[in-house]
Amino acid sequence: MADSKKVKLPEAGQWPDRMLVPALALGALLTTTGFLLAFFWVAPVNGAKLSEPVMVGDVTVTHVQLLSQKIFYFHMPVAIVSFVALAFAAYYGLRFLTTRQQRFDTCGRVAMEITLLFVVFTMATGDLWTRFEWGVWWTWDPRLTTYLILMLIVIAYFVLRNAVDDPQRRATYASVLSILAFVDVPICFMITRVIPSSVHPVVAREGGMSPEMAITVTVVMVGMMLVAFGLYRLRFRQARLAERVEALKEQIEER
Amino acid sequence: MARVPITKPSTFAQYATLLKKDLRREFRTREMLTSMGIYALLVIIVYGAALALTVRDLDIVRMSGGLLWALIVFTSLLGLGRSFAHEKEQGCLEGVLLVPLDRSVVFLAKATSSFLFMLAVEVVAVPLFFFFFMTTAAPAPTLGLIVVPLFVGTLGMAGIGTMLSTITMNTRARDVMLAVLFIPIVFPLLYACVTATTAAIVGADPWTDFFVMPLVLAGGYDIVMLLVCWVLYDFVVSA
Repeated sequence: MADSKKVKLPEAGQWPDRMLVPALALGALLTTTGFLLAFFWVAPVNGAKLSEPVMVGDVTVTHVQLLSQKIFYFHMPVAIVSFVALAFAAYYGLRFLTTRQQRFDTCGRVAMEITLLFVVFTMATGDLWTRFEWGVWWTWDPRLTTYLILMLIVIAYFVLRNAVDDPQRRATYASVLSILAFVDVPICFMITRVIPSSVHPVVAREGGMSPEMAITVTVVMVGMMLVAFGLYRLRFRQARLAERVEALKEQIEER
Repeated sequence: MARVPITKPSTFAQYATLLKKDLRREFRTREMLTSMGIYALLVIIVYGAALALTVRDLDIVRMSGGLLWALIVFTSLLGLGRSFAHEKEQGCLEGVLLVPLDRSVVFLAKATSSFLFMLAVEVVAVPLFFFFFMTTAAPAPTLGLIVVPLFVGTLGMAGIGTMLSTITMNTRARDVMLAVLFIPIVFPLLYACVTATTAAIVGADPWTDFFVMPLVLAGGYDIVMLLVCWVLYDFVVSA
C-alpha cells in the first residue's frame, strides 16, 4: 500500500536524537532558572509586599496567596505543553490513518504518554494552588472540569490500547481516539472565555502580565517544551529498539 | 430470462434500507426498547431509595435536571452497548460491509436508529420520572422547553455512542470499555444539557446565560463531534 509513495518514517537514531542530550540539559537549566526567577526576581502581583495584606482586584490577599501564586509559573507552561503533546498525538493519529504505517502509531503512543505525564503535572500543581488560594482541594470550575475530562480520555486511551489484541486494529482505534481527545483541547482552552470562571482568569483580559512575569513564564515554557521533547525522543528510541528486538526474535524463531 | 435491472441505489436509498432493517428488527424482537425501558425504570427506583429520606426537604426541582440526565446517560449506555452486539452475532455487519457503499452511510443509519430508540425510551422515562418525583413540586412554566436540550443531547450521544460502540465491539470487556470512553467524551455535552434542562425546569433568570448559551455550546459540540465521527467512521468500521 505504501510502496507506491515512499513515506519518510521516524526512526531511532535520526537527527533529533543528536539533539536529545542538549535539549534535556538546556530544558533542565531553563526550568531551574525559571524556578529561581519566579521566587527571587519577579515581584509579587501588583507590587505587593509580603509583610502586609494587600488588595488585588477587590479581594484582600495575604502572603499565603502571594507566594502560592508562584505556582502559576509552572502550572500554566506545563498545561500548555500537555496541549502541545496531545496535538502531536492527534497529528500522528492522522498520519497513521492516512499511511497505515505502524510506526506512526508508536509515535502517537509515545506522544500520548508524554501528554499523560504533563497532564498529571498540571493536575498536581493546579490542585496545590487551588488548596492554598481558595482553601479547597477540588471545585467544579469549568476549566478544572474540562481538564479532568481530558485526563480521563487520555487514561481511557491506554485502557483501550490494552483491550485490543490485533496491532493494526489497536492502532486504528487509538488514532481515532487521540483525534477525538484533541477536540477537548480547544474547549478546555476557550471555556473560561465562554463561561466566566472564578478560579481561572483570562490573563489577557485582565491587563496581561508584567514584562517580568511574561519573561519568567516564557523561560519555563521553553524549558518544559525541551524537557518534553527530550523525554519523547528518549521514550521513542526505547520503544523503537524494543520493537526491533521483537522483530529480530521472530526472525530467529522462524529459522 | 427476465432482465434484472442493475442500477446503483442512491445514497439515501441505502440509508433508508439500513435504517429500516434496524427498525424492523426492533419491532420484531423488541429487545432494545424493553431492556432500555426496564433499565430506566430500575434507575428511577434506585433514585427512590437514594432520595427516600431527603426527598421531603430537598429542593427536588433544582436537582431534577441532573437526575434526569444521569438516567438518560446510563440508559443510553445500555442501549448503545447492545446496538452492535447483535450485528456481530449473526455476522450481519460483515454482510453490510460487503455491499459497496460509503461507510459513513452505515454510521448515519446506525446513529439514527440509536437516536430513535433513545428518544422512544425518553418519551416513557421522562413522564415516569415526573410521576415519581415531581408531582408535589412546582416547576416553572418553561418546563415544556426541556424537550430542546433533550433533543440536542440525545442527538450527540447517539452519534458519539455509535462511533464508540463500533470501537468497543471488538475489545475485551466490551461494556466497561464503552462506559470508560463514552462518559468522558460526552461530558461537555452532558454538562451543557444539564444546565439548560435545569434552567428550563427552574426558570432561570438570565435566560440567555443559562438556557440559550449552553444549548448553543451543546449544538456546536454535536456538530463538531458528528462531523469527526462521520469522517473517521470508515477507518473504525473497516479495521
